[in-house]
Amino acid sequence: MADDIVVLDHITKRFPRIVANDDISLSIKKGEIYALLGENGAGKSTLMSVLFGLYEPDEGRIIIRGKEVQIHSPREASALNIGMVHQHFKLVSDQSVTENIILGIEPTVKRLGILSRLDMKGARERIRKLSSDYGLDVDPDAKIEDLPVSARQRVEILKMLYRDAEILIFDEPTAVLTPQEIDSLLHVIKALRDGGKTIILITHKLDEIKKVADRCAILCRGKLVGIYDVNSISTQEMASLMVGYEYTDEVNKKNYSGGDTILQVENVTLYNQDKVKVVDDVSFCVHKGEIVSIAGVAGNGQVEVADVVAGMLIPSAGRIVYKGMDITGKSIRERTEEGIAYIPEDRQDVGLLLDCDLAVNLALKSYYHEPYCSRGILKPVEFRKNGEMLIDQYDIRSSEGCSTIVRSMSGGNQQKAIIAREISLDADLYIFVQPTRGLDVGAIKNIQERILALSEEGKAVLLISLELEEIMNLSDTVIVMYNGRIQTVRKRSEVTANEIGYYMMGAKHEA
Amino acid sequence: MNSIIIDGLSFALPLFIIAIGGIYSERSGITNLALEGLLGFGAFTGGLTAAIIYEYSSIGGTASMYIALIAALFGGMVYAMLHALLCIRFKANQVISGVVINILATALTAFLTNQINASLFGRASNRFVLEVSPRFSIPLISEIPFIGAFFTSIYPFEIIILIVAAIMWYVLEKTPYGLRLRAAGDNPQAVDAAGANVSAIRFSAVMVSGALSGLGGMCFAYSISSNVSPSIFSGYGYLSIAAFIFGNWKIGPTFWACILFGFARSAGYSLVNVLALPSAYSDLVLTLPYIITVILLIFVSRANRAPKSLGEVYDKGKR
Repeated sequence: MADDIVVLDHITKRFPRIVANDDISLSIKKGEIYALLGENGAGKSTLMSVLFGLYEPDEGRIIIRGKEVQIHSPREASALNIGMVHQHFKLVSDQSVTENIILGIEPTVKRLGILSRLDMKGARERIRKLSSDYGLDVDPDAKIEDLPVSARQRVEILKMLYRDAEILIFDEPTAVLTPQEIDSLLHVIKALRDGGKTIILITHKLDEIKKVADRCAILCRGKLVGIYDVNSISTQEMASLMVGYEYTDEVNKKNYSGGDTILQVENVTLYNQDKVKVVDDVSFCVHKGEIVSIAGVAGNGQVEVADVVAGMLIPSAGRIVYKGMDITGKSIRERTEEGIAYIPEDRQDVGLLLDCDLAVNLALKSYYHEPYCSRGILKPVEFRKNGEMLIDQYDIRSSEGCSTIVRSMSGGNQQKAIIAREISLDADLYIFVQPTRGLDVGAIKNIQERILALSEEGKAVLLISLELEEIMNLSDTVIVMYNGRIQTVRKRSEVTANEIGYYMMGAKHEA
Repeated sequence: MNSIIIDGLSFALPLFIIAIGGIYSERSGITNLALEGLLGFGAFTGGLTAAIIYEYSSIGGTASMYIALIAALFGGMVYAMLHALLCIRFKANQVISGVVINILATALTAFLTNQINASLFGRASNRFVLEVSPRFSIPLISEIPFIGAFFTSIYPFEIIILIVAAIMWYVLEKTPYGLRLRAAGDNPQAVDAAGANVSAIRFSAVMVSGALSGLGGMCFAYSISSNVSPSIFSGYGYLSIAAFIFGNWKIGPTFWACILFGFARSAGYSLVNVLALPSAYSDLVLTLPYIITVILLIFVSRANRAPKSLGEVYDKGKR
């Protein structure tokens, strides 16, 4: 027990209506990577928030380096050398990396012996050193808003290191990263451990745990299910423990037999605000009952293609033909009414009104006509009826049913709400953009099954995803995009995941 | 030509110091439409102080001017605490609070001026008369053609403003306090997570805006009218808001925006004089800065970026 740096002793944390952590005891050794595994809402983040001083436990003790402590605020956690990288970064976008890192503990020097000012030079040096020590590769002078997500995350890591943190908590760090970025992050995490830091990794991605973690604790519905050496347990076992039932990876999929053309995208080209060609002469078709997926590394124009079809962006050239009708110039509402449903990439910004309740969000695409609105007056009763029906049908979990403010719901349930709303439109074409991003295994499976069910009903589905596995599991036809161009269009049955991977990297090109 | 520069500067600089106040408040995340009211209330405090000094003491003109300027600074600061209290402590809508502060200032100062004049000084008047501020020219340099005009007939307050502005720039850009203030307007959560007190930073920033507005308002009173009357509320606060928006919430560019407004105004007056137009036209000239504002808005709005969390009530729990 001597080398246990963090001991959580019988921690219980209750919220109204839910016990988030139920009598959880863990001990974490110095210098190990300790994974906390569980579905969304299993209580991982709550437990770490308790350790980081964001919440106070209702029962139980926290023992750090052999001493019992009370942690009332992140500041006190910081004083105990505990640091945390949150899922939502806390960075000031119009300031430099250095300014962000020193915020709150600014070093100063005296000028002319009296005028005290920020010691930017010293701070920059120290950041540069930390950055190269752990292979973080961050330019201390870059502005945050110019940095990609992965670099912002490295800034958050530097922020902890700059504060001499020894216990580093990562809250689902890979949810926002591409596969390559995930690899380099895992390297960084290993380097940090080898540098003597203790790392707590909150995640629901099993392969990452297999790759880096030494031990893992599995939580399920607020309870600790077990603590395992990662080497002694298979991913299959971990998955079923975490979900609470036997989990199978395979999705049952019927073979696609062909049907009428629903969507034709013809020679679509799109320039972005900076006059850069992001979509370059893209053409493809989606048929009735077919799932067409667009694979590709993030930022290769896939999302823009979906936005063009949905009407969010107007193409610079080319046509969108839906059921034989040119809809290129049609508004989003007209497209919705023609039967195009859209599940956007950014569920919080585009998909939902976060500060409105669930009933409103579930009727967002139909509020303006009967039965929700009659003679210009909204009918709250109908909103509720519809809401309750969908909540029930799609198993959307929320604390107060229809009146739950959507912001307070978990990511998985927010996504379920969007999908419920869109499916209830009874459209003919469904566009899914990264429908399972950041969700846990159970929710992913649920959503994938919904997508398959749609295609079995004869709906056309356009799926954009970064997860190769998802694409291989679901699609009938796979399109790979690279640099805004279509690399290849293949039948799912005639291509392997490895081949798709090559195309995604731009290695292979089909004329 | 010289009078364009001289009058332009004496109008632009008070505008500039008020705009810096606005920058402090808004960079910390608090929308500040109250500058108009703050400068008026500050000038009222200064004017009252000057009147009391004149009536009851033997302190001379110049010294009383400096005392009045300091009094205006404190008056604006104290009055600004009302805005800070409403916006931060009571999480009121910042636009509405600003407008209310302005309306309240107009009514309150008019009422108090009348009452105090009647009861304290025994006369019926809606204004405090100030002594005329001295002016000075810098020898030799002021002789140089054209450039010399920048060093001719300077009000002492112009120098004060430049010094204060330099200090305010240094504090905002070079000190830990400034860094936190700028961060609070962009992402208050980050400031909170870093262990700093967002509310305290914002409260102090609004107080700074009040102090600088009060100072600027008193300078206007000395330069434009030599008295403090309801005419102090003629839109200069709003003009300084326009100035710092054109300046993209940065002190350097805001300076040039203020210079532009100042020179546009003084050039217009000169034009009226040179062409010997009837006095009605000088009223038209007064609208010149506002017309420029409208035209500039078309061009600069696109490139401008307000502080990201401007006007948002900071709520710790919100994700």
